[in-house]
Parts: sequence; C-alpha cells; structure tokens
Amino acid sequence: MNSSDLYKSACSYLGVRGAPDKGTLALVEECLAEAMRLARFRAIGKEYTAPLAFLAKQPYTQFLAGCTGYALVAMTLGAEVERRVRVLMRTDAARAVVLDACASALVEHEGDGWEERFGEIRTYRFCPGYGGSSIADLAPIFHELHPEKIGMQLLPSGLMAPQKSMAGIVGIGKRAHKTCGDCMLFKSCVYLKEGTTCFRSENR
Amino acid sequence: MLPLGKQVILLDGGFGSELERLGLGEAVPEELNLTHPEAVRAIHKAYAEAGADIITANSFGLNAVKYRGSYALADLARAAVENARAAGKPVFFDVGPTGALLAPVGTLTFDEAYSAFAEVADLTRDMVDGYIVETFSDLYELKACVLALKEHTDRPVFATATFDGSGRTLTGSTPEIVAELLEGLGVEALGVNCSLGPKEFAPIVRRLLAATELPVIVQPNRGLPRLVGGKTVYDLSEDEFAAWTEQFVAMGVSVIGGCCGTTPDFIRRISSCKGRAVPVRSAQKGTIVTSATKLVAIENVKICGERMNPTGKKALKEALAAENYDYLVSEALRQEEAGADLLDLNVGIPKIDEPAVMRRAVRAVQEYCDLPLQIDSSDAAAIEAGVRQYNGVPLINSVNGEEEVMARVFPIAKKYGAVVLGLTMDSRGVPRTAQERFAIAQRIVRRAEEYGIPRRKVMIDTLVLTASAEQALVSETVRALSMVRTLGVKTALGVSNVSFGLPNRPLLNKTFLAMAMTSGLNMPILNPLDGEMTGAVRAYNVLANVDEGAAEYIEAYRDFTPAAQTTAAVRREGTTPAADLYECVKRGLKGDARALTDAELAQRPPLAVVNDILVKALEEVGALYEQGKLFLPQLIASAEAAKEAFAVVGSRLEKKEGGRGKVVLATVKGDVHDIGKNIVKVVTESYGFEVVDLGKDTPPERIVEAALRIQPLAVGLSALMTTTVRSMEETIAALRSAGVPAKIFVGGAVLNEETAKAIGADYYTANALEFVRTLERLSE
Repeated sequence: MNSSDLYKSACSYLGVRGAPDKGTLALVEECLAEAMRLARFRAIGKEYTAPLAFLAKQPYTQFLAGCTGYALVAMTLGAEVERRVRVLMRTDAARAVVLDACASALVEHEGDGWEERFGEIRTYRFCPGYGGSSIADLAPIFHELHPEKIGMQLLPSGLMAPQKSMAGIVGIGKRAHKTCGDCMLFKSCVYLKEGTTCFRSENR
Repeated sequence: MLPLGKQVILLDGGFGSELERLGLGEAVPEELNLTHPEAVRAIHKAYAEAGADIITANSFGLNAVKYRGSYALADLARAAVENARAAGKPVFFDVGPTGALLAPVGTLTFDEAYSAFAEVADLTRDMVDGYIVETFSDLYELKACVLALKEHTDRPVFATATFDGSGRTLTGSTPEIVAELLEGLGVEALGVNCSLGPKEFAPIVRRLLAATELPVIVQPNRGLPRLVGGKTVYDLSEDEFAAWTEQFVAMGVSVIGGCCGTTPDFIRRISSCKGRAVPVRSAQKGTIVTSATKLVAIENVKICGERMNPTGKKALKEALAAENYDYLVSEALRQEEAGADLLDLNVGIPKIDEPAVMRRAVRAVQEYCDLPLQIDSSDAAAIEAGVRQYNGVPLINSVNGEEEVMARVFPIAKKYGAVVLGLTMDSRGVPRTAQERFAIAQRIVRRAEEYGIPRRKVMIDTLVLTASAEQALVSETVRALSMVRTLGVKTALGVSNVSFGLPNRPLLNKTFLAMAMTSGLNMPILNPLDGEMTGAVRAYNVLANVDEGAAEYIEAYRDFTPAAQTTAAVRREGTTPAADLYECVKRGLKGDARALTDAELAQRPPLAVVNDILVKALEEVGALYEQGKLFLPQLIASAEAAKEAFAVVGSRLEKKEGGRGKVVLATVKGDVHDIGKNIVKVVTESYGFEVVDLGKDTPPERIVEAALRIQPLAVGLSALMTTTVRSMEETIAALRSAGVPAKIFVGGAVLNEETAKAIGADYYTANALEFVRTLERLSE
C-alpha cells in the first residue's frame, strides 16, 4: 500500500465514494499527515509451525490449510492519535472524524508493511471476529505474545486498547486475500450494497 | 545496610529467561514459587553467587489486577519472599505494572491501580527489605504504585521505567519527567530497565543522570531481542554487556543489573564494578512542573492561564455547580491553543464538595489537555485531592506567611513533590513595602526548607494591588520581585488585578506586565485569550534576547496586518466567507456562524432563524448526504456550524420556544470506542436537541441515574462489538426495570434491527442522521 492507497482507505472508511470535493480532499491529506506524525506504531509477533489449541477449529483450520506455518501478531498505533481525536472532537469534530479514519487506515498500512518479515508468500492478517470466529480468541493471542509490552491491553469486555490496535494470525507459505465472507458485517455491509468493498481487492 | 549512592550496588538479572532454560517457560512464573520452589531458589542462589547484593523476589505479576490464577496472592507473595531469602541476601519485592491501561485509554482508574499496589504493600511490608518497582511504561500507574508503597510501607523503593527508542515511555513521558515525578515522590533510587539493550539505553541514561541527583539504576536487556524460528533470541555477549556497564558506571550510574536475556554469568561478569565509589553528581535543575508528557521549566517568562477560576465568572460558577466538566475542558483547550504554558485550576464555589470536585476536574482536564496544572485552592483537602489525582508534578497555589497555612500545605507539597507558590502576605494582610513582603518571602522559603522542600520548588507571588486604590504600592510589588529573585526562587503575579476600577484596563495590564517582566517576573497569571497580553510576553522575549532570532515572534506574527487580527483566527486557509447563514451551515463554516446568526437575528425573530434557515439548511445537507453527494466530514462540519448558530439563537428564544428536548447518550460499559456516539452527539445537537453525554465505558447504573434525573426524550446507547452488545442488553434491562419512560435507541457496528429487537431496544438507527430523524418524529 502506498500513500495514495492510504488515502483511498481513509476515504473509504469515511464513506466517501467517487471523487470528494476539494475541502474534504485537503482535510484528509492534512489528517493523514497528522496521523503519521502522531503514530507510534509498535508490533509484536511470533512464528509457529504447530497449531496452538485455539486454532484447531474453523474457520482457522481452513484459513491455515496449506500453510507451512503461521505467525501470531499484535500491533498498535499507540494512544497519541486517540488523544488527539478526543481533543478534536471538542474543537473541530469534522477533523476528529477524519483523523480517526486516517488512523484506522494507517494502522492497517503499517501492519501490512511490518508483516513483510514473515516472507513474500503469506496470507493477509486474519483477526478474531472474522469469518464467524469469536473475538474471545484474542485472549490466547494475548497470552502468547504479551502485547502489554507494547502498550496494548485486552479489556475484560474483549475489546483492545488503545483503539487503533489489531491482533491476528498471518498464514505463512500460501497467499490469501481478504474477502467479504470473513466479515462480521457481511449481512449488513453498506459497501457491498453498492458493489464495492472497504478494502482493496488485491490486499493479500 | 547497603551503601546506596556511595558505592556501586549490584542487582540480579533476567528471571524469565532462566525459567525458560529450566523448561518452566510456559508456567505462570509467580505460581512456581509454590509449585517449584526449588527451581526458583536455584535461580536466586545462582544470582547471589554471581555477586548480586540484592535479590529480587519472583513476584513481578503479583497484584490483584494482573494475577488471575487460583492461588491466594498472600501465599504466593510469602513464598516468593521465602524463596528469595534462601539466597541469604537482602530481598526486594518485585512490583510490576498491572498490565491494564489506565482510563481514558483503558478502563482502570488511578484509585483502582493504587488499591492493587497498596494491597501488595500490606501483604509484604514486614517480610522484605525494599521494593523494586519496574518495567512501568505509564507515568500515572507509576505514580499510583510508588504512592501506595510510600504510604503503606517504610521500606526503600527503587523505581524504574521502560523507554522506547524515541526516548519516551509508551505513554509519552520523557526521562526528565519520570525523574522529576519519582524524585518528588521520594523514591530512594530511580532508573531504567527492560525494553532496550544497553547501547540504546545510553542516551536515556545520560538524560536521567542529568535530571536527578538520586542514585540511578540501569538494568538493560541483553541487547534488542530478535525472533528466530519463533524463539526470542538476544545477541549481546557478556563482554559487550560488561563494557557497556563499565561505561554506565563511569557516567555515574550506581545500581546495575540486567533484565531480559541476562543470566547469572552476565551478573558475575559485571560484578567487578561492585563496591566502586560513586562520583558525586549535581543536577542543575530549576523550577519544574510537568504533565504526563510536557515539562515546563519556569524560567524567563511562562504564562499561567487564569481562566479556570470561577472568581468573577458566572458561567464557570454555574458549570461547576452543575459539575459540567465539559466547560472546564473547553476553557483548558482554548488557553492551550492561545499559548499558555500552564493552567491554573480553581473550583472553589460555595456549597460544593470541593475536594471531590477538584479530583474530578483534574481528571477531566488532564484527559484532554497536555499542559501542567496549578492546583489552586484555599482548602488544603481540595489541594491534596487535586495533587494526588494529578498525572505529573503540579504547582500548588498557594501558601502565605501564616504558620497554620504553611503547616497545612507544605506537607502536601513535600509528599507529592509539587512546586508551591507562596504569597507575600500573612494574617495581617498584604504589607505595604517591598521590604516587608521580602521578609515574608524569606520566611516562606526557610519554612519550606524545614519541611524538606528545596528552594527550587518554591515560587513567590509579591501580590498585585489595584492602582486605583493603592497607586503608590504598584512599584513596591515590582520592587519586591527583584528582591525575591535574590533568594534564588522564581516569581509569579496575578497581573490583571492592577487595573481594577480604571478605564481601558488592557492598556494598564500590558504596561504593568512589561514593568514586572523587566523586574524579574517569571510567571504572569493572566488571560491567555487576550492577545495583547500574550503578545507582550512574546515581544518581551524578543527584546530580552530569550526568543533567539525572534523565531517564535515571527512565527506568531508572520501574517500580521492590523485588520487581520480579528478574522484571521477563525477561517481556514483558502476558504471564502459564507454569504449568509444558510450557506454557512451548508458549507460547514463554523467560524462564520456566530456573526451571521447575529446578522439574521437583527432582521427576523429567533424562531424564524431556526425554521427558515437552520432547519432548511440542515435538511438540504442531510438529503445530499443520503444521496452520496456529500460525505461524513461535511455532514459533521455543517452540524457544527448549525450548533454554533443554535447557541446564539437559543439565548434569544423565549423559554417555552426553546429546546426540542433532551437526549442522554452513552457508550456502554466495557466499550471504549466512542467515535460513533460522538458523531451522533454533534449531529443531534445541530438539530437543536440538548445532549447529555455520559461518555464511554458507562456503567448501567450511571445511565439509569441520569435518565431518571434528566427525564430525556430518548436514551441512545452505543456498542462496537458483540461482547459489548451484551453490556447494552444489561443496560436496557436496568433502564426498563427502573421504569425509565424514555425511548431507547441503539447503534453500533455489529447491531441491526433484529439484534436491537432481541435485546429490548425501541429503535435501531444505522447512522447519526437516522437517529436524529427518528428523534424528530418522536418529539413532534
């Protein structure tokens, strides 16, 4: 993903279709720059060959079928962007919403780049919650990786903090791209209704 | 007794890596104290034999927030200490962080973190020789921990934080901030551990050594970890590690050891440094206040914003009486934006629980604003409540020359390491002459030192009297400034008092400020929104050769033309002004909204402005949004412009005409994602509804309480994930069983009509516009 892809992702999260007006365009560009300035991307990962117990079920078995190994990963943009969004929500809400979307795009982008260490032939990041899996499976990932070290926490409610954080599984030794079938919003997706997706189709 | 600070002391090294070597890497380390005591003892013994002066108990994760196993904390703690004792050396209890993030990023409160660490202290204080607080990456949690240990034990506390390659902790604190906070809290030694190898540590160690005279601890990892075949590998050799340790000792580090990846062999290798004499260091520190991420040294001139003080401010008084902290937060952000360096916070109004309000006010302001705070109260209990809750090193305002006042406030300043402002007055009032005020300043400084508060942590306010009543005394105040400076303390003044009762106050204020700065005023307490005053400080900084090359001055006034002053601030670059209010709302030009609303109000009645302009503009924006011709950022910008306009119109409307009803919004318990709820809030307000926002991670009982008290038209609940939808269901059940008549709306990523019905909500709305449209139908 290059910066123009980042820009497209951010626009997509904001529900922008087609070419936005000049004002929105400038705002997204400014906010992307601000997100990059505030981001303190940190990631942690570990490679495995044998499946851990929580992966011995669908949809993980299917996702990992044909892989020579896999990695568990956890990553965060840190809490600085979140704090800035919180402040902007009070002083310039439109900017706050755009910065939030830019931060979402950025954490995905940074994460994809960081995962290059697992080799050219790998899958996209499959995160608990996709494809009918339970977000309860974040717990074993946290147990393995201790992402507390990079400032992440799994809250008792099953959500992660800071907000711009992700944790998941990357299959090694096969290629797989993100599909809408994985998504918990599959049935109600506003993008799909319009015949598009929230991610780029060539996304691993 | 350990020769702390005089000779180099040797700590032990990595524990987890040793357990891994023994094949116990998968176990919960602290439980091994009971299940495999022999293994734990063997590791301690190996470190003792390698030369460690202190053995760190295997207790890193032993606190009630982090430890979730089936053993009792007390049993594990006792076993941990007994196992460490077997090595025959002094035993320090290892206290690690809770692993939970503090609110607002996480959900743990400062008080909950404090309780967890206080429990650890209570369980262990009679068994151990000291505490090593380590691997903390959040200043606020570090404060909770050290405070708990200091209040619940009398044993020495060593404290270390972890920093990343950028030289900051995970939550953004610098080594200088960490050192200032820890020194203030009275730790016996402070330093850095884990996270990086010695090479990456070097610049951070250098900064810590310059920032404190306390003994400095360094416990690096064995280099940066690498992942090889799923295993963590450290590359640094014992020789390299030892060479770095030698360097640290030469720099002045006096407590050494290792962290992840280091073994007894590493400790043996560096044990040759043990017992070496520690050079005396002097840290040239001035008067420093900090937030969690910002350090402000009170030197030259620093502006303290005065707007969070209810004296003479009706709106702020009302906000405080209603415990509306949003108002305070807005004031804080405006002052920060306007260039204040720190902010005064005073919540003293009659008939409130001032300590409780101060505590909440501090929490609210620091959630948003980065600037250090000056905790201002005449009630010592309120001062302590604020200082305790504060995430950083605050300034206390104030003491004066009265013995009783100093006796109440100095112990608080000492305990929390706060800077304290002394007023040059006593029970007889403000003395007339500079000489007499200087005498009181001397007394304050002397008494502070008797309480163990160093001179650099005292500031003096020589007190401004009004020129209208005491014209001859204005120069005494100024003269007293230069006299007080000879005591080696920094000075403050509430500048604008000088002009009270005279015309053209800004002119007098500005002139007086210039006089005072020239005579050594360091911290004017003033209204930073007054551009003339902040401008005078900027100008002074140029003329006094503080602002090098006038860089900051030029930056501030680059685009200055006399006429540009009033309008420059509000409009984004390149936007043309809106022709009228309708266009202003449609284009989302918030900065133009107030003036254009005033213009419309001059021509038509308030209700017509609402119905014929605002509502119609919003309808058009909404329609364009739904057609996909206009997007979320624009919808929100329009909403914000309309909200500004409503605020102006609202003040002109008759009571019976005003307000379309109240709405309570909350993100449910357990959920910290609030962007969706916030969007709904902005849009709903733009339609003239009054929104009471309860925030995120809101317990059901708080929502029920608010709904019963406020009697809103609707309660809107937001949840992001399936897990927090459960919490939403519980909230709805609680609202129903409390008999709340309001309609219940739900929204959030994983919700739909079906789920909404299943959990008992009245309405599901997919977005903010749908929410407000449904609400409008209800209110008709």
